[in-house]
Amino acid sequence: MAIMAMLAFGKYARQERKHGPIKLVGNVQGVRAPDFTLTSLDGSKVKLSDFRGKAVLLNFWATWCPPCKVEMPWFEELQKQYGKDGLVVLGVAMDDSEPASIAKFASEMGVNYPLLLGTDQVSDDYGDVQYLPTTFYIARDGTIVDKMTGLLERKDIEDAVRKTLNAGAHPVSGQQNQARAANKAAAMKALEAKEPGRDELSAEGNTDR
Amino acid sequence: MKLRFAWIFPALLLTGCLWAQNLNDKPFVIMAPVGNVQVRAGATKDVSLDFRIGSEFHINSHMPKSPLLIPTSLKLIVPASVIIADVKYPTGQDESFPFSPDEKLNVYSGDFSIDALVKVAAGTAAGTYPIKGELRFQACDHSACYPPRNLPVQFQVTVVK
Repeated sequence: MAIMAMLAFGKYARQERKHGPIKLVGNVQGVRAPDFTLTSLDGSKVKLSDFRGKAVLLNFWATWCPPCKVEMPWFEELQKQYGKDGLVVLGVAMDDSEPASIAKFASEMGVNYPLLLGTDQVSDDYGDVQYLPTTFYIARDGTIVDKMTGLLERKDIEDAVRKTLNAGAHPVSGQQNQARAANKAAAMKALEAKEPGRDELSAEGNTDR
Repeated sequence: MKLRFAWIFPALLLTGCLWAQNLNDKPFVIMAPVGNVQVRAGATKDVSLDFRIGSEFHINSHMPKSPLLIPTSLKLIVPASVIIADVKYPTGQDESFPFSPDEKLNVYSGDFSIDALVKVAAGTAAGTYPIKGELRFQACDHSACYPPRNLPVQFQVTVVK
């Protein structure tokens, strides 16, 4: 019992930080993303829960982080491409720089998504973010789909975006995928049975996801 | 019998304490101990402060190419009769990384030294004077960057007549 108590002390002390307990520890997939209220560059307050029902790409970055700057144009492209499907990109600046400097940087980069001023608290809440860039992919129901650290390939990021769009409140389950495939096959078969030249595929059957 | 196992409990307590440290804390930069620095009152002496950067990391030099990047800088606090007349930083190396193949960064990697020119005022009493400070740096590896850190720096100056 003494051994367990000592090891438990170590684990507890590790989690207690000067800014409070870390909320995300270990495997975070399926865990509810901690809500936060941060200030955006225009001074407005932004809460993560404001985006419930949307797929959120939550990116921790800093102006002094060269790998972070490589990703940002990709995030801009993905926001344009998948915004209509419900993607929201949020950038959390873990800078000591003045907001005006961050805003100038964002303007020069052409950032088209909200940039929020990070705090020690939100860093702690998200597992004591130490590596930049760190990105959390949050499903429409507020649960974390994935966490990625370091610079990755654009394709990996887009794959994670698509996975996040399909997860959460409106997930595409394996059974639903099979049902869609069956419907599509039936529609194709029906088309083949019709006279040549007629095209009456429904929008549902004609959609590839 | 009881004494034979007496070491177990302090060992387990130490294990718990070690686990309590943030396992994400990486030793990005360490400093070599500074040997005895002897200076006569009224004289100056160059003190070489030697640092080693972890093999998987690099840090910005004192003169990075972008104002957004955090430079390596040394700050020392000295007693009243001692001044740091000059601090000389090494020249960084221009290197490109996977995350910036087209843009070279001016960085330190491996071992590097910063020279501090210590000047002792004339008439300073013989004795040992502590010099303390910190090295501020910001490290990255091949794909990610870490927040700026401060490494404690300290050495002693022995004033002799």
